[in-house]
Amino acid sequence: MSRFSGLLRGREFSLALILVVAIGITGTINPRFLTGDGTRDLLTATAIVALLTIGMTPIVIMRHIDLSVASTVGLTAWLLADYSAKNPGTNALTMFILGPLIGLGAGLLNGVLVAGLRLPALVVTIGTLYIIRGIAYVVSNSVDYNAQEMPQDLLELQFKTYFGLIPFTFMLVIIGVILVGWYMKYTKAGRDCYAIGSNPPAADLAGINVFRRTFVAFLFSGFMAGLGGVFYIIRFAQVDSTAFYGQELGIVAAVVIGGVAIFGGAGTPVGAAIGALLVQTIQGALAALGVAPFWKQAINGTLLIIAIYVDRVIARRSEKSLLAQRIRERA
Amino acid sequence: MASKGDLLLEMVDLQKRFGGAVALRSARLSVRAGEIHALIGENGAGKTTMLKILAGVYVPEGGSIRLGGEDFRAGSPFASISQGIAVICQEPSLFPDLSLAENVFIGRQPKRGVAINWKQAQSDAERLFKELGVPLDSKRQARGLSIADQQVVEIAKALSMDANIILMDEPTAALSASEVARLMTVMRALRDSNKGVVFVSHRLDEVFAISDHVTVLRDGQFVSESPIGKTNLQSVIKDMVGRELTELFPKGKHKIGEVVLEVEGLTNPAYFRDISLKVRSGEIVALAGLVGSGRSEVARCIFGVDQYESGTVKVRGQVQKPGSTKKALKNKIALVPEDRRQQGLFMISPISNNIAMQSFGDIARRLFINFRKERDLTSTWKERLNIKFNDAKDPVERLSGGNQQKTVLAKWLATNPDILIIDEPTRGIDVATKAEVHRLIDQAAADGKAILMISSELPEVLGMADRVIVMREGKQVAEFSRSEVTQEKVIAAATTSKKAS
Repeated sequence: MSRFSGLLRGREFSLALILVVAIGITGTINPRFLTGDGTRDLLTATAIVALLTIGMTPIVIMRHIDLSVASTVGLTAWLLADYSAKNPGTNALTMFILGPLIGLGAGLLNGVLVAGLRLPALVVTIGTLYIIRGIAYVVSNSVDYNAQEMPQDLLELQFKTYFGLIPFTFMLVIIGVILVGWYMKYTKAGRDCYAIGSNPPAADLAGINVFRRTFVAFLFSGFMAGLGGVFYIIRFAQVDSTAFYGQELGIVAAVVIGGVAIFGGAGTPVGAAIGALLVQTIQGALAALGVAPFWKQAINGTLLIIAIYVDRVIARRSEKSLLAQRIRERA
Repeated sequence: MASKGDLLLEMVDLQKRFGGAVALRSARLSVRAGEIHALIGENGAGKTTMLKILAGVYVPEGGSIRLGGEDFRAGSPFASISQGIAVICQEPSLFPDLSLAENVFIGRQPKRGVAINWKQAQSDAERLFKELGVPLDSKRQARGLSIADQQVVEIAKALSMDANIILMDEPTAALSASEVARLMTVMRALRDSNKGVVFVSHRLDEVFAISDHVTVLRDGQFVSESPIGKTNLQSVIKDMVGRELTELFPKGKHKIGEVVLEVEGLTNPAYFRDISLKVRSGEIVALAGLVGSGRSEVARCIFGVDQYESGTVKVRGQVQKPGSTKKALKNKIALVPEDRRQQGLFMISPISNNIAMQSFGDIARRLFINFRKERDLTSTWKERLNIKFNDAKDPVERLSGGNQQKTVLAKWLATNPDILIIDEPTRGIDVATKAEVHRLIDQAAADGKAILMISSELPEVLGMADRVIVMREGKQVAEFSRSEVTQEKVIAAATTSKKAS
């Protein structure tokens, strides 16, 4: 019973509820949305962003941010395509190994700067956003790659589904959400992340290794961005140096909409992934309604502000009741 | 497990200084298993320094600390915990987003295989809470917990780490009466399980209600230790006071004029109720009382920083609009805040900027600041207040604490206020500069300013004030004129709910 009520109160549950409602509304406007094809489309379109929210979640929980992920996705995707173009016969497995390795490089750079040199993550990752994108421009030298230069077994994954419903890439997202969700909830290292974000000085006093947790989180975010590069090729089968340009804030928005506190200490990968789905669903609904695609960004922004406003209202309410309690006790 | 009466902790001849200021001269404390030991003394007596040494925050410079039969390893919070010492600070620092169970076991979560066993963490935490007589829900978040319950969580954490010495720094300062009663139940439970409990408090009735032993410190020095049955309120107060008054600047006699500031029935229910006071020109009125008794909040309301629920502030007979610093400034009120680093100065700005900050209106020509005038103003006040610096362009953070305080004073005196409110004028500054600050305050009174001084230092209150108003827990509890005030009277009014007879 208490477990059930806990679930009811949880942020993930209310998000899932909103998601169901959004899907229902979209489905009534556009019945195709509820079919197998519609669901596959939605999940395919969400997979990259959802994957990146998993990497971003621990970082935001620790009061940091990683704005370099979209650049890393782009650079990784281009380098992978370049590699397979120059090495005919490259298979999907190689891509799945190389991609995350390239991403780890970016994560290493961010980790050294933020955890090692204790520079603010916001500034550092804006810097690395430009650096990594700049590298992509330089190495690509305006060369684009198309499907014929990419490993065919990789591109075929685009059509692979489970239970006729879940695309391969989204299946990986589900596995990632479960693993990372479990890690964040059931290991000391995962709980340390929440403690660091919740009260940094107290985390120091509790003997938590803040450096190591921060460093590993940025490595992991880089790893996921590298994997995102592989996802990008699977989805678009075409890469140039501007791949995934400007998508970083959409990921942060999905994470925040998914209930990860931007000031740290709270949130789960499950919530973040649902946040990504919710954003995509609402986009789909608007498209079905015939809203011009120009509105897409504005709607995203509005969602984000609503999410942060709801958090604020809840926080204010509890502050007020605390003050009232204090006054009663004084009287 | 220690048995009752075993010597758990012995601190002898402890010494510690901060820069020029001596915090501990020869402090001493011994704690036995199964006792509640009160550690008392005035502000600045060195109690918190002793606690912080045990907590591993500071390293002592001399003396010995023995735990059971072993030497204490100082200087690391982690080492202190592993030696069985738990220090519970005034405002506990929990993780607000995490559950109570998690707060108790952070970093030491019980495991089943590789995974944290949350069921066990929750039931273990709840068992600890129950042992302490406070059945909290271990699954709830720490956010929003009352300070009393936060302390219970901290104590449970200490117990879960097998601490046998538990030190509490003014645990009752922020608690209501019923919460204090509950905390005392917890403390007795700890004592009965043969822990050594050290209780730092300013509230002497509580000290007498619960402790078995009391150690008194004064000026970083051990004064007395006695079983509670063999001492009484008067003799404890006598041990606490008796600080040297000679090092203070002698206050002059000034002509006291009209009422300039008049506060009537000022109430902000979260902090204070029904405060009424008058300050005349040339008069120094001291607001005495414990830290947290609501004095600074009264000052903030008078200066228009905070809103109040009822009551009025009158300046020269005119009611001042509440909640407007602009109006307060117009009424020529100045507030020198207690925390100069956070509230009084712009630490990285030049000294000259800081001094001229409130006087830009006078030294600006249209939109632009006249830097020659700023330089003149700075050198005028440098001379008048004897502020020591080489270059007025240096950031104010390079100055010593005393010179920073003079800089804040200069900033406000430069506005030529009629009413000067000074919150803790000499906190954290050396003796010589203290005397100078006192001279400046005295000079301001001689110039006919009305001065409201908040101070936790009794010698300062007694030395400077024409009248002393004492606050306790948000209420105005006593008023003494200069001729009738004594340290004993002020301490008794500030710390005990009954009159010391």
